Amino acid sequence: MKQRVELSINGDTHELAVEPQTTLLEILRDHLGLTGTKEACGTGECGSCTVLIAGKPILSCLALAMDCQKQPIITIEGLSEGGKLTPVQQAFLDCGAIQCGFCTPGMVLSSTALLEENPSPSEEEIRKALEGHLCRCTGYNKIIEAVKKAAERMANK
Amino acid sequence: MNLPKFEYLRPTSVEEAAQLLKECGPRARLVAGGTDLFPRMKYGLACPEVLVGLKGIPIKAPTLNQNGDLHLDALMSLADVARSPVMAGRAPLLKSAALSVGSNQIRHMGTLGGNLCLENRCPYYNQNHTFQFMEPCFKRGGDRCYLMPKGKKCWAAFSADTAPALISLEALVTIKGPETNRQVPLEKLYTADALKPLDITGHEVVTEVIIPGQRSRQGTAFVKFSLREGLEFAALNVAVVLNVEEDGVSCREARITVGAISAAPMRMFKAEEAVIGQRLSKGLLDQVAQMGAAGVRLCPRLGFSALYLKECLRVQTCRALSLAAQRVSRHKGKKTKQ
Repeated sequence: MKQRVELSINGDTHELAVEPQTTLLEILRDHLGLTGTKEACGTGECGSCTVLIAGKPILSCLALAMDCQKQPIITIEGLSEGGKLTPVQQAFLDCGAIQCGFCTPGMVLSSTALLEENPSPSEEEIRKALEGHLCRCTGYNKIIEAVKKAAERMANK
Repeated sequence: MNLPKFEYLRPTSVEEAAQLLKECGPRARLVAGGTDLFPRMKYGLACPEVLVGLKGIPIKAPTLNQNGDLHLDALMSLADVARSPVMAGRAPLLKSAALSVGSNQIRHMGTLGGNLCLENRCPYYNQNHTFQFMEPCFKRGGDRCYLMPKGKKCWAAFSADTAPALISLEALVTIKGPETNRQVPLEKLYTADALKPLDITGHEVVTEVIIPGQRSRQGTAFVKFSLREGLEFAALNVAVVLNVEEDGVSCREARITVGAISAAPMRMFKAEEAVIGQRLSKGLLDQVAQMGAAGVRLCPRLGFSALYLKECLRVQTCRALSLAAQRVSRHKGKKTKQ
């Protein structure tokens, strides 16, 4: 039986009727057309469906939409403000930390959450924070470089 | 991949959750973070008609009582367990075990209680069986084990990382049912039967983990060996707690727990006995690790042969013991400086 939920996604409130088994990922991609959040494994192993709930990176493929109410949800579409890229997004571009781009939304969101919590992470801390993301183009070094660069730029601001 | 249909109930207290579980009977399952259950439901390995979700229950902050016992809400996320400042001081062993679970996202979603109640896993069972036409294994209702050829029982392993750490710390768990409220040592929660790994009834909930006050002159270490460093279940993990006498070198108490190699976390009793009362030296720890690994029957898994895993168990136990011994002496060093 469908139930009414109210989700706050990227600052907008959406009222939807959902089945209990609907995941947040299905809501984002199929109901709201926010296809920046990617689906790959569907079982929590790849990190491409990562979104931020209350600032914490979580896997939207394993989160029920009914459990995500009353908390601010940020997807990759809601990160930049007024068309201006965030320092993390800009650093990913500048470092060439994007190859096919499929893992990028998740990587950017996890990096954003990391820098929010720890503005000057060590390389080990960056690797630990991004361990749940698979990049099948294997461009990990540039991604780690980009997070370091973003941290540097945010510190110098 | 979509989840199968189910009815979803969101109680606002543990008592209500236990009551709902009792009312719904075997049709219902409990879900906290969902990082273990939902993948299995997507693979069709579990199809509960009713899910009782614990997300609506407020989480209590960790508290220390007068005896120095640390009370942790089982609903705390593993990330919060690892980040909590009280953990670094009181239970660094649990902190490092919690940090080694899954990935950052999984630690934010998964709960401590959920990790302790993890379903036993094996590389054959934990996959999608839709297009696979082999005879089912014990865990899927069949009569064979694909891990151990000619095996007479299921060899799926209990692979949680926090359980060995908490068993070595002599932790207790509080289990609440609609009419019951009991406290048992964590060790007693596990049955060593891979088909029913937990000794709780379908309508009981693990609500709290209690770590007894720690003695001074204690060294702890957690070591995990897996295929990859991140985002992987352990092929084996070892948690060691060593307490030493006032002289700082003789071992008074030792608890060595190995996880992920059998249906329940396993204490190495013989190795513990061998180290108690002895002076901690490299030679002794080597010998103890050898003795501990020798008494264990292992099954080949994850591409590792049983022989390799046995050697690996010896090496990892030795590493954990040495690390714990080093930490005791560092502790002692600090005290003399003061």
